[in-house]
Formats: sequence, C-alpha cells, structure tokens
Amino acid sequence: MKLLFGKWTAIAKESIDRAAIVAKFLCLLHVTNTYIFSPTLVYGPSMLPTLNLTGDVVLSEYVSHRLGKVGPGDVVLIQSPENPRKMITKRVVAMEGEVVSFLVDPSRSDRSRTVVVPKGHVWIQGDNIYASNDSRNFGPIPYGLIQGKVWCRVWPIDGFGSL
Amino acid sequence: MFGKWTAIAKESIDRAAIVARFLCLLHVTNTYIFSPTLVYGPSMLPTLNLTGDVVLSEYISHRLGKVGPGDVVLIQSPENPRKMITKRVVAMEGEVVSFLVDPSRSDRSRTVVVPKGHVWIQGDNIYASNDSRNFGPIPYGLIQGKVWCRVWPIDGFGSL
Repeated sequence: MKLLFGKWTAIAKESIDRAAIVAKFLCLLHVTNTYIFSPTLVYGPSMLPTLNLTGDVVLSEYVSHRLGKVGPGDVVLIQSPENPRKMITKRVVAMEGEVVSFLVDPSRSDRSRTVVVPKGHVWIQGDNIYASNDSRNFGPIPYGLIQGKVWCRVWPIDGFGSL
Repeated sequence: MFGKWTAIAKESIDRAAIVARFLCLLHVTNTYIFSPTLVYGPSMLPTLNLTGDVVLSEYISHRLGKVGPGDVVLIQSPENPRKMITKRVVAMEGEVVSFLVDPSRSDRSRTVVVPKGHVWIQGDNIYASNDSRNFGPIPYGLIQGKVWCRVWPIDGFGSL
C-alpha cells in the first residue's frame, strides 16, 4: 500500500515539474509576442496591393509604438475604434498637428476634404482607398490605440521582405 | 583562482534568475490581474483626493467587456498617449448623454449620442475635469483597467 502511494507522489511530482517547464516556456512566448515581436495573420481588401486579400503572415513588432517611433508611412496594427475586440491593419498617413487632404469616397465622387489631425491622434488610411474603412469614416484615432508596427512579410514566400 | 570566479559567477546568475522570475510574475500580475495605483488631481473630487490616493485597480473586467456606467476606470489619455487618467464611465455606446458643457461659466447643456465602440467619461468634479465634454467620446480600447477599492489613506479604505 505504502509502495503504491509513493509511486503516485513520484509521478505527480514529475508531472508538476514538466508542467512548470511548459508554463515557463509559454510565459516567455507570451512576453515575446506581446512586447517584442510576433507573427500575425492579416487579411482583407483594404491594404491591396500591399497586402493580399486572402491573408499574409507578417512579423509585427511591439517596441516602436511605446517609444513614440511610429510615423507617416508605417503600416500599423490598431485596436479598432468601432469594435474594441477587432484588430485592423492600416497605414499611418499623418501625425498630430499635420494637415490631411483626402478623397472622401473615391468610388462615388470626386469630393475631397482637408482636416487637421488633433493632438495625441493619428490619421490612418488603407492603401486600397476604394475598399477601406479608415479615418475617412471614423475620424483620427488616438495614438494609444496603436498596438504594433508591421515589419516584414514572411508568408507567402514569394512576397517575403519588408513592405 | 579561475575556478573561484566561475563559482561566484554561477551563483550570481542563479540568484539573478530567481529575481528575474519574481519580477516577471510581479509584472504579469500588475498588467493582467490587479495592481496598486497612485491617482491624484482635482477631477475626481470628492471621490478621490486631490493630493493622491492609492487604489487597487484590476485589469480583467475591461477585457471581458464588463465595464459599464458608474465604473471608475483608468484610461490612456486620447490627448497624450503617455498619460493615464482616471475618470468615471457615464454612458456606453448607443446611449444618450446630456451634460453641462462648462458649468463654472454657463448653464449651457448639450445632448450627444455615444457612437459604436466608444464610451463617455466624466470626472466627478465637473468644474475641474478635462474629460469627454472636451475631447469627445473615447474608444473603448483606450480603457486600461477598472478601479476596485482604495487602500490608502487608511481612513478612506474601501470600495469607491
């Protein structure tokens, strides 16, 4: 009886040790994915032709936006101002204080508007202005909604390299 | 001689690893579960003191979408992304807000519908608060945490 119980404690101890190793690895993976860089699947028509419709895997880094190093021309990952559970990918067109001229709805009219970006905000637009729901619809977004910057594409292989 | 140095180096690395693991655990708890926070300023009087209170804030509710009207929340300021502000949620998306635009100067009031994905925040001290009445409704994604209870000063201990 005593021998059987001792065997179970040994098994329990070993499984706890192995679980601890897995937990430590997952912690490291999570910290890397949140604060340093991670692969991200992006899809949708709003960044054509830069990003494909059916999905690309890109490496995105999470260091620049914390250091304030996001600027015009960067493709960024943003928490959508319309739905906080959704992450969207757009290009930063203008920073706070800059003046933006844009076509309001190019597929329907030639109307253009000019706007000054308020303090603490950025103006984002998708590369495919005919099919993009961006700052032309929901206005400039607070800089704090930027979650990361897209660095380079890793899949599909023939599209490998920085955007 | 060299052997002694390697032994010292190994022991300091082991001890540094223990400290690093503890700091990792502390950081994960402070970011994802709860942490003490120092809040100060006049915009939440009389609920929170001018000169500073330590409150416990938790970081779970906003991820589960459980932040609602009446909650005191920590927000990343839409005017300055490096600044964290503390205000009360007054209305959620789709709700109608009636507010006094500038009560210390006039009796003018406005009514606004909160757009989708946004919340309306106001400080309890509407005479000295820079909030949604100035910068408009803020996206829900800017909410970083919810204030749970006050722990310092001791005579103010308890939920807000």
